[in-house]
Amino acid sequence: MISPPPLRIRGLAKSVPGGRILFEGLDLDLAAGEIAAVMGESGAGKSTLLNLIAGLDTADAGEIEIVGRALSGLDEAGRTRLRREHLGFVFQAFHILPHLTLAQNTALPLVLAGISSGEALSRAAEMLAAVGLGGRESDLPSRLSGGELQRTAIARALVHRPGLILADEPTGNLDPETAERSLGLLLQAARTRGAAVLLVTHSARAAEAADRTLFLGRHGLEARRAA
Amino acid sequence: MPPDAALPRTLLSWMVRGEWRAHPVRTFVAVLAIAVGVALGFAVHLVNRSALAEFDTAVRSVTGAADLRVEAVSVSGFDETLYPRLARLPALSAVSPVVEVTAQTRDGRSLTVLGLDPLRAARVTPALAVGAGSGFGAGRETGREDAVWLSPAVMGGAGEVLEVREGGRRVDLPVAGGLPSVEAGQRLAVGDIAAVQQAFGRIGRLNRLDLLVAAGVSRSEAERAIAAILPADARLSTPEAESRRGGDLSRAYRVNLGMLAMVALLTGGFLVFSAQSLSIARRRPAFALLQVLGLPRRGLFLQVLAEGAVLGVIGAVLGLAGGAALAGAVLSLLGGDLGGGFFSGSRPALDISPGWTLIHGTLGLAVALAGSLLPALDAARTPPAQALKSAGESGDPGRRPPLAPALGLGAAGLAAAFAPPIAGLPLMGYASIALILAAGVAAMPWLARRMISPLTRIAAPVPVRLAAARLAGAPDQAAVALCGLVASASLMAAMGLMVASFRGSVDDWLGAILPADVYMRVANAEMAGLDPTLQAALAAVPRVDGIESRRTLTLSLSAERPPVALLAISPAAGGAPDLPWRAPPRAVDEGEVPAWISEPLSRLYRLSPGDTLDLPLAGRTVKVRVAGVWRDYGRQFGAVALRRSDYLRITGDAGANEAGFTLAAGADPTDVLQRIRQALPPDLAAQTEVAPSAEIRRVALRIFDRSFAVTYALEAVAILVGVAGVAATVSAQTLARRREFGMLRHVGAGRGQILAMLALEGALLGAVGAVAGLALGAAMGQVLIQVVNPQSFNWTMDTRWPLGLLGGLALALTLASSLTALLAGRSALSADAVRAVREDW
Amino acid sequence: MDRLTRRSLLAGGAAAALPPAQAIAAPDFAQVIPGRRLVFPRDHGAHPDFRTEWWYVTGWLDGPTGPLGFQVTFFRTRTGLGEGNPSRFAPRQVLFAHAALSDPRVGRLLHGQRIARQGFGLAEASERDMDIVLDDWRLVRERSGAMRALAGGEGFQLDLVLTPTQPILLQGEGGFSRKGPRPEQSSWYYTLPHLQVSGRLEREGRWRPVRGQAWLDREWSSTLLDPVAVGWDWTGINLDDGGALTAFRVRDARGRAVWTGGSLRSADGRLWTAPNGAVAFEGGRTWRSPRTGAVYPVAPTVRLRTPAGERRWALTPLFDDQELDSRPSGGPVYWEGAVRVPGGRGYLELTGYAAPLRL
Repeated sequence: MISPPPLRIRGLAKSVPGGRILFEGLDLDLAAGEIAAVMGESGAGKSTLLNLIAGLDTADAGEIEIVGRALSGLDEAGRTRLRREHLGFVFQAFHILPHLTLAQNTALPLVLAGISSGEALSRAAEMLAAVGLGGRESDLPSRLSGGELQRTAIARALVHRPGLILADEPTGNLDPETAERSLGLLLQAARTRGAAVLLVTHSARAAEAADRTLFLGRHGLEARRAA
Repeated sequence: MPPDAALPRTLLSWMVRGEWRAHPVRTFVAVLAIAVGVALGFAVHLVNRSALAEFDTAVRSVTGAADLRVEAVSVSGFDETLYPRLARLPALSAVSPVVEVTAQTRDGRSLTVLGLDPLRAARVTPALAVGAGSGFGAGRETGREDAVWLSPAVMGGAGEVLEVREGGRRVDLPVAGGLPSVEAGQRLAVGDIAAVQQAFGRIGRLNRLDLLVAAGVSRSEAERAIAAILPADARLSTPEAESRRGGDLSRAYRVNLGMLAMVALLTGGFLVFSAQSLSIARRRPAFALLQVLGLPRRGLFLQVLAEGAVLGVIGAVLGLAGGAALAGAVLSLLGGDLGGGFFSGSRPALDISPGWTLIHGTLGLAVALAGSLLPALDAARTPPAQALKSAGESGDPGRRPPLAPALGLGAAGLAAAFAPPIAGLPLMGYASIALILAAGVAAMPWLARRMISPLTRIAAPVPVRLAAARLAGAPDQAAVALCGLVASASLMAAMGLMVASFRGSVDDWLGAILPADVYMRVANAEMAGLDPTLQAALAAVPRVDGIESRRTLTLSLSAERPPVALLAISPAAGGAPDLPWRAPPRAVDEGEVPAWISEPLSRLYRLSPGDTLDLPLAGRTVKVRVAGVWRDYGRQFGAVALRRSDYLRITGDAGANEAGFTLAAGADPTDVLQRIRQALPPDLAAQTEVAPSAEIRRVALRIFDRSFAVTYALEAVAILVGVAGVAATVSAQTLARRREFGMLRHVGAGRGQILAMLALEGALLGAVGAVAGLALGAAMGQVLIQVVNPQSFNWTMDTRWPLGLLGGLALALTLASSLTALLAGRSALSADAVRAVREDW
Repeated sequence: MDRLTRRSLLAGGAAAALPPAQAIAAPDFAQVIPGRRLVFPRDHGAHPDFRTEWWYVTGWLDGPTGPLGFQVTFFRTRTGLGEGNPSRFAPRQVLFAHAALSDPRVGRLLHGQRIARQGFGLAEASERDMDIVLDDWRLVRERSGAMRALAGGEGFQLDLVLTPTQPILLQGEGGFSRKGPRPEQSSWYYTLPHLQVSGRLEREGRWRPVRGQAWLDREWSSTLLDPVAVGWDWTGINLDDGGALTAFRVRDARGRAVWTGGSLRSADGRLWTAPNGAVAFEGGRTWRSPRTGAVYPVAPTVRLRTPAGERRWALTPLFDDQELDSRPSGGPVYWEGAVRVPGGRGYLELTGYAAPLRL
């Protein structure tokens, strides 16, 4: 049985409120386990692209399919559910909730899916161990370094086994060494679990780690060899 | 749990616990706000309920369960020959005659002595005949036929002798036994009617006839038959009229306190609103994250609402417990009327009903939910992608806050102030106050901008301009921070204004009604008391220049209303007496009897100068002409003053029970007071109070202050909660702006400058809140003075501005707000600010 | 405090309602001293100086559904209280009254009562003639000599005219009737037997005319029972031949007679007064009350040793359950019912069987 691709985009167009066209005619296909880096100038619409894929923003034209399901055919509740079940997120600012423990933070996608707290926490603990934070489940985020926070975010992004992970500048707030380790961890963990990753980044070094690198411009994504 | 459940329980519990662990004080303040409101409301309700139950019991204990009653209009009663005439009416199946005397026991407390014919009472009011149920057993038990049975609240066992005083006479009542069926707290003695008539000089007189309507006769038929033969000094009363009258006694007072508690709860609601608003603004990124991770909009809404509900439930439970404790304490310390003086001597038991407990708890929860509703909607409406990027502040500095909603509310409030009372209660007055408060809160964003914008344009040090610019730019946030403060400040100012005006007016009034130097009053002596010989003897006391003795008694003008006071006084030189006039006295025609009525009487009975009034005196109806209206705070149910000469001519009663003495120049009041006491026969002296007018005035004001102590306490609590709310708000907002401070420091602002900016911001916020609160409070206070008080108590007062109190209040709020901002700023700026500081204070 | 019988009242049964006078400072009760002639109509009226007095009407009515027994009795008691109190409520005299109807179809007594202190025209007993008012109840001798009785109770009202057909019967020695071994244990006692009854009876809202025959006992005294007495049996029978039989026995705790008395008047007016010891109440069937457990000799044989020889009358009750329990209101439990004898009808009263009468 052939499972549908994690991400398929055809003819996507988006302009900003002022009328300026960010991009149009954008196509993209991601296979399971494939890692793609998206680069582009500031204001090119990289984050907008991620928001469109996440169903947090609506496109002017075009179609996005996630694991074979078209976003345009879903209402808000459906998109929310799709995010909950099939997408994982890693942010530049980590967005780890300060008042929840690492395990609770990691388990959020699971409890949002209605999984009982016991099971969610134990799966979160396994995931934390996998990112090198074993034994730190009960710690509060205020005691963590930036790298540790990002590893928690990676654990959270993977804990519910999503088909696609959207990573928005995941290394932007980290020193180069930590950034490299974190990114390696994310990509390795995604590969292990067969999740595709769409990585938005400014860092050419980060982009190198991807299977392919795309440049976002007015006319969509163009393949480019990594420098 | 199905995958589509809007709000996973695990998430709710994690979020709530995480938030509370992180911000215990802020959470505590919100819970406290609800708890205080619920506690006050519940306590006032419990006290009311217990006291009303007590009052009902008192009425029932004294009246038994008669279908109908005929009552005397004054303590002197009516002729006993009415008894057989009523007893022969075919419409009545039984009539029980009663003599009722209010006497005083040795400890100075009053005691109701009922004289009954147990054989008659057994059919009409069996509850009363129980003690005397074995008929004339008095003689058998004590060897004396004048023995009485006592309720448990009156000390004294069988075989003892109870010494009581009434009308200047001492009566020794042998105790035959107890009246165990009479409720605790009631001070009642029941004896044989003939013995009571003889012992208290009531031969030939009755105070009451308890009636049983014959089977097959309608009550209205019976009432008509009775009315046809009733003399002027007796009045038909139904149990409904009775309980209505009883309720009247303190209803207005109670409703006022109840409303005050509701206002406190409302303040709590505003505090929950401001706490929740800020908490949500602060957690916007967190909520956005949850949305991105897959929490539906509705789930987010429910999450915020559920947090409010948890606050509400905890607050309500604490409030109910606190309210019950408070009510218990109040009942045991102040009695059923919260020190209002309506039911002397009774200490009712706490009467808690599950239904009302639930209602008050639910009210607290509802207020907390209502306070969370707007923030919850707001949170659910914000697009998550945007919220995830920005750290919360979503206001557009250029937007002009609207004023129209506030103006609409204010207009409605003004209109409500002019509405008449509903069911005798100033409900619209309270609605007016609530609307004015709402208008004030709604106007806060506009007002904050209006008041602060000018500061941004003037040449001022950098911190001032920074502070002003920030507040002017985020008026909604400023308003949120302020609404709790404004609510409690305005409430405080309004009550302060009302109480100050009331107290000032009472003080003036005391001066006007106590012109003499020394006053004496014989307790429980509406009949007898000081006879003319004694009055002459008192006038002859050395160093006494003049004496004005008067008769005061209670007179029932309507079966529906509590009795009024009748004062027979001696005006100077035949003209109008010296009273604190509201409407100046005017002359009456030759041959007419002038009557000067008090303001409450004028309002209750709708009488103005020139009207006539029928007074039941000496067994007939005497028409008098209203010649003036005077202010009176002492007799809430009305008073009417007659010339003593007119009273004497009508009733033949030359006795007196009060007297005022003017002393010779240089006389020592203590010395004269002693002489006055010595001039009285010992038994009379024992029930007579003599005091210099200065002391009476002091005591009266002390009682006034004490009865408002509860009000002050409620106020203080509301203000403290308000300030705590502001502190929490200010510190939360300050901490949320660490990045801003970091930026300011980067661009070269000194730490001191930033702190100064924060302190100024706090002060500005406090000042705006205080000014707005005081202005609102002044408006609400005027409603209290001009609408609520006249409608509740039927008296008016002159406005006095407690400038010291109001100024102090404004200053305190400004300082408190400034100080908390400074403290929060210090921790926000501390070296390890980024991580080490917990986002709380 | 309803259900007072004449004897139990005197024995202290009313003590619950009224304090024994001796507890109160020395009221001056008049004493029954022989030698006075009763004067009528004055002596039909009240004698307030004496402690106790009654007007006791018992009789048979011929109702549409068969015979009924009835009693209408008024009592007056001087309490010894309030003697020095000028109040019109002073409880010096208390009047109470009691009415009962014996209907075999009901199988128990229907009853009612009134009580009030004398005064205000609501409760009065005339000292000139028989005229007693007690709220809406009345017993008054009219100019014709007939008496009118108005009373009622649960489900019945009586409005009767009692017309004398025979002269007054003075019991004892010209009305001086001894009740115990000591001379002061005595009362003034006269009887009007063979009263012809007419009038009407209301049952459940319907008035019906009735006829019948009744008996009036009048008695007043200040001291009656001997301390050893526990109860009292009394009967008064209108004999069909126009004769009138009166018999009473004061019993001690062992059921022996402390004192007996009575009289027999023949239709021609010849009166024989029984001396102490000439009257006996004997055995017969008993009835046990299911309510109180008291055992009453409801069908005694009354034996009179007359100079002409012994006469016996076997009494048969109209029905057995004519017991009244007035303990809830402080009175005694006793039996007072309509009885038949061969050739006569009357009433029987049995007291002190449930418990000794209090002294």
